[in-house]
Amino acid sequence: MNKFANFKDLLAYCETENCSIGEAALRYEVSLGDRTTEAILQGVQTILSQMKDTIQSGLLSEEKSMSGLSGGFSKKVITFVDSPTAFLSPLEHKMMAYALATLEENSRMKRIVACPTAGASGVVPAVLIALAEEKQIPPEKLQMGLLAAGLVGEIVSRRMHLSGAAAGCQAEVGVATGMAAAAIVECLDGTPQQALDATAISFKNMMGLVCDPVAGLVEVPCVKRNSVAGLHASAAATLALSGVYSFVPLDEVVDAMVSVGRMMSPKLKESAEGGLAQTPTALAFTEQFQKKEK
Amino acid sequence: MTSHGSLFDIMGPIMIGPSSSHTAGAVRLASLARNVANGKVSRVNFVLYNSFAKTYQGHGTDKGLIAGLLGMGVEDEGIRHAEEAAKAQGLDFRFTVWEEANHYPPNTVRFEMELENGETLTVIGHSIGGGKVYISRINEYNVSLKGEYPTLVMFYHDEPGMIWRVTKIIAEQNINIASLTCTRRDKGTEAFMAICLDSLLPDEQVEEIRRIPHVYTVHNVDKITS
Repeated sequence: MNKFANFKDLLAYCETENCSIGEAALRYEVSLGDRTTEAILQGVQTILSQMKDTIQSGLLSEEKSMSGLSGGFSKKVITFVDSPTAFLSPLEHKMMAYALATLEENSRMKRIVACPTAGASGVVPAVLIALAEEKQIPPEKLQMGLLAAGLVGEIVSRRMHLSGAAAGCQAEVGVATGMAAAAIVECLDGTPQQALDATAISFKNMMGLVCDPVAGLVEVPCVKRNSVAGLHASAAATLALSGVYSFVPLDEVVDAMVSVGRMMSPKLKESAEGGLAQTPTALAFTEQFQKKEK
Repeated sequence: MTSHGSLFDIMGPIMIGPSSSHTAGAVRLASLARNVANGKVSRVNFVLYNSFAKTYQGHGTDKGLIAGLLGMGVEDEGIRHAEEAAKAQGLDFRFTVWEEANHYPPNTVRFEMELENGETLTVIGHSIGGGKVYISRINEYNVSLKGEYPTLVMFYHDEPGMIWRVTKIIAEQNINIASLTCTRRDKGTEAFMAICLDSLLPDEQVEEIRRIPHVYTVHNVDKITS
């Protein structure tokens, strides 16, 4: 079985086999030899169910996180859809609110699915669950969407550690956005080429994103960044589905991200020594928070 | 970087937030320390270093460490209430923040444990991101233990035939050896063996290994299950 050394390899496989990226992902996972097709699909469904459960339990909750920095925003966004000033569709409101709900639950020490990390756990679920609800995507198709996202993340992870500490937020929310974009294209029956173009477009716009958490906590800016990233993935998928393609192929885009990650100062990699973490507001909060901790 | 990993490591794990390195990693590291202890821990001092020392409460690292030592997995909703669970189960815990400069990786814990049978055990471990962890020290010995396989860790006096004696006992159980690491400090001094197995060695055979002449200590460490 082809283990997909890179995205070019994956695309060639999909074209030869006349299959989608989700289908290729399923065959890849089977080829690892630990699980049968049925067990894999069952596992994928368990993950989707958990994603949905997390969204449902968090959506209307106003409980604050332990630090008090986050909590209650998902309810604001999901109720704003009925306001006369709302100008985006229910689908987009759901995407934003669902990602907020997931990250807020994460900050409350509730159960989430790391996808690919806990700090980026809002993007893929928000996009998939909102799309399923608003565009009537059947469960089998949704499973394929998640598998496609998983394979995109897996191929990237061979070249870059998926952690803010290793390569900045481009390796967390950045990668999650590209995974989500591929998942959307998969769910809407786009071609494998379009899925990878959607990922490439996402990555090109997320490249260089720094990891600068206030007080070192997975809350500011992570919660809202996840929320906006779902729309980012949707925009990239829309471009790709409409026929816009990436000038630079995905493999080269990933190489560029890896290179940017290496050039990035350690102060911008999860250490809270740069970016938003060093603003006067963040520093004042951090001092107060650390006093409280002691 | 791992080549050809499972997609379930990318779209997962299902875990309690907020951080895979500071929360899930803490649970997994403490689970592994519990497996090294191989018995009920009655008292523990968690000494926290570097990033763990700075943000342990905000990330629930403290709750994660206690939960792991109590046997909870990364997706257990009881993690949030780990302190209460510890009190109910008779685990006496405290935290010490290490303020001085050190050479340890960012997320490091030293578990100073007292077991129910009165023995003491010190384990040093690290969380290296994405929930991956390893233990680098058991008491005065350096090790490298990741919890991916049931592992027999033993310290003994460097003597001819030790590998044969130990692996014979394992072979008689029809248990397959995944890997074997064997080192010694100097010829004829203290030696170390770590044997990764496809399944955990039964207690009876562990006792048999303990009775081999020149064996100092044996830890039968199960893998981390979640």
